[in-house]
Amino acid sequence: MITECDKSYCFKVENKFIVKSGCKKRMWRSLKQILTAERALPWQNDAVLYFSINAPPTFKPTKKYSDISGLPAPYVDRHSKLYYSNVEEFATIRSLPMDITAGYLQLRGANMIVG
Amino acid sequence: MEDVLVLKDHKTVPDIVHEYEPTLKFGHIPLVIDNGSYQCRVGWSINDEPNMIFKNLIARPRKDRCKKDAEPPVTPPIQIGNDIINIEAVRFQLKTQFDKNVVTHFEVQEQVCDYIFSHLGIDNEGCVPHPIVMTEAFVTPNYSRQLMSELLFEAYGVPAVSYGVDSLFSMYKNDIGDSALIVNCGYHTIHIIPVIKGKVFAEYARRINLGGSEIICYLHKLLQLKYPVHVNAITMSRIEEILHEHSSIALDYQEEIRKWASPDYYEANVKRIQLPFVQSTSSSGLTAEQQKERKKEMARRLLEINARKREERLAEDEEQLNQLLAIQDLIEDGDTDEFNEAIKGFDIKSYEDLQRQISNLNMRIEKNKQRIAAAANAEEMPEPKPSGRFQPPSDPEAFQVWLNDTRAKYREVVQRREARRARRAAMVRRRTAAAAERMRVISHLAAAGDDFGTRDSDWDVYKSISREADSDSEADGERLVELEEALREYEPQQPSNQHHQLHLAIEPFRAPELMFQPSMMGNLEAGLAETMEYVFKHFSPEDQLLLANNVFLTGGCSQFPGLKERLERELLEMRPFQSTHKVILAKNPSLDAWYGARDFAGSNEFENWCITKEEYYEMGGEYLKEHHASNKYYKSPAPIVDNTLAPAGDANVVKEEIVVDC
Repeated sequence: MITECDKSYCFKVENKFIVKSGCKKRMWRSLKQILTAERALPWQNDAVLYFSINAPPTFKPTKKYSDISGLPAPYVDRHSKLYYSNVEEFATIRSLPMDITAGYLQLRGANMIVG
Repeated sequence: MEDVLVLKDHKTVPDIVHEYEPTLKFGHIPLVIDNGSYQCRVGWSINDEPNMIFKNLIARPRKDRCKKDAEPPVTPPIQIGNDIINIEAVRFQLKTQFDKNVVTHFEVQEQVCDYIFSHLGIDNEGCVPHPIVMTEAFVTPNYSRQLMSELLFEAYGVPAVSYGVDSLFSMYKNDIGDSALIVNCGYHTIHIIPVIKGKVFAEYARRINLGGSEIICYLHKLLQLKYPVHVNAITMSRIEEILHEHSSIALDYQEEIRKWASPDYYEANVKRIQLPFVQSTSSSGLTAEQQKERKKEMARRLLEINARKREERLAEDEEQLNQLLAIQDLIEDGDTDEFNEAIKGFDIKSYEDLQRQISNLNMRIEKNKQRIAAAANAEEMPEPKPSGRFQPPSDPEAFQVWLNDTRAKYREVVQRREARRARRAAMVRRRTAAAAERMRVISHLAAAGDDFGTRDSDWDVYKSISREADSDSEADGERLVELEEALREYEPQQPSNQHHQLHLAIEPFRAPELMFQPSMMGNLEAGLAETMEYVFKHFSPEDQLLLANNVFLTGGCSQFPGLKERLERELLEMRPFQSTHKVILAKNPSLDAWYGARDFAGSNEFENWCITKEEYYEMGGEYLKEHHASNKYYKSPAPIVDNTLAPAGDANVVKEEIVVDC
């Protein structure tokens, strides 16, 4: 691996992880994979690991805000499933094209295919 | 208020190669690297300020396609950190070594390290002879640290490494005592870390998986959806600028948005952001009149050119026709030899062919002549003005009246159409007033006597019960088009820069509010305040008080104006009545981690906290020497020796759980 053309900087012993173009690339584990592997190990009981300090799920009721304006939204448009706060917004929502309404739903994380 | 905020579109300045002075070269000066997922800050421990601050990103241009030339394919250089002048140009080629707040992609990390060491001017052969202080994420997985150590020791031959946690460095830098509740708002995560008398209670610390990058993405998407026309002008870097300079955290979000519901408040407080725009030629100092003139002139010139072309073609055709006719004469005279000679020159095969060509030419000439005549007529009488019904009067006052009138008509038609549409929609459904009315009319019709149809208006009844679009709506549709055209032409134009403005109302509060309400983007984790409350619950009341009186805010995202006040308010809400609390904001939330790490590297005990090369080879890559600002070291246990296939099944189960988590 340590050929002359491979070594680009004088201070380096070798290129550790950089691969020459054309060589097979090393696949890097994603954080998720690393955590899964970590979790599978028989840790001592008091060990604090990355996944164990995740924030708890929220216990407060989530508030609803109008998707387009951010105002408090008491209503849901049954057609597009968007939240809205007043009549004008409703008219606006109804005139929005599909891709925009889908975008708003995705932004809110409410675009589950199921349902 | 009409002050418009202009985006600055900051440009980065490429890093210089620093001088590698002999004191550095031979002094074994520690090098301090705050390896954050947003920015990397690098500097010598003897310096007051970091030598380099750059975004921890590299842009790897794709290999040139369509380069099959003789020269060997040139791989374009990889741009790193501040080398990237225009980040938007390479947005899709950006890579980072981070996955959330943990380094996972070590090829990129190696490139970043190359960048760091080469820009510091290090020129020793085969090693980087400096101990390194490197920050790492709170409770970094051992796997990640192992690869980092491998990289530093084996690729760069560094003599020693020490790892620490950025937020702890920042806390010690700010000298706020040894007990605090650290709230570290980073680029991908928010950490809440309780520290009591110098002991870090990692088991009670919590991490919210949300940070600056999510806030940027949220606002980016939000504004793109609000202004679909400007999708391309609304770039990530501009959003970042808006967040840095024009956003804040609301003291009471509900109260804040309630205020915005009022149109007056909106008008008075809305932020107008000017997007850069290209001044269209229509407003380049020419009046509408001049433009019209110019257009006319162009049209005339075009006509002239066309006419000239036609005439030229006509002359050409006539010339050819004459020649062909002459040849035809030849054969009629019986001069076959000469005829054969002549048709060779004209690429004609036979007498029939010749005849066909002649008739073709005749036709072409005729057509051309007609066209010329038509064009001449058109020139004589200029086109009648379109839409004669909607000609505005020239007098400005009358024009205003006319304009208002036209607008009113337009609205009226639109309303009528809407009403009709609504009625039709209602009619389709059962049990609506419209449907009932329709049924009534139908039954009435059935009962109508023989005189139905004697009057024309009788037939209108069908319009009222038809579910399809009728002739009325067609007529209205045409009228609408006419009115729209008239309005489009004569409506006074807004200056075009106003079309390129973003109006920010709640958005600058809405995006950072994600920190407190992750549910707004579908993240089901508890928000900052709720998680703090959760963390408090694990401690005795005395310790809680100790923590509450020293809530320490650090990290880049803690610089939102109003965050400190908001936290104080939230603490007031969650803490027992009349108990005290205090929030301290780091002096320099982004850089204090580096300063703290630098002080750490300069302390007398530094050598005891370093992992030496020998220790690395003896203890393995994941080994960590603990100190006051470090993570705790838990040696990775040996994996369970798998008995047959059971572990594979286990792993699958775990994987699924994680999918559910996020």
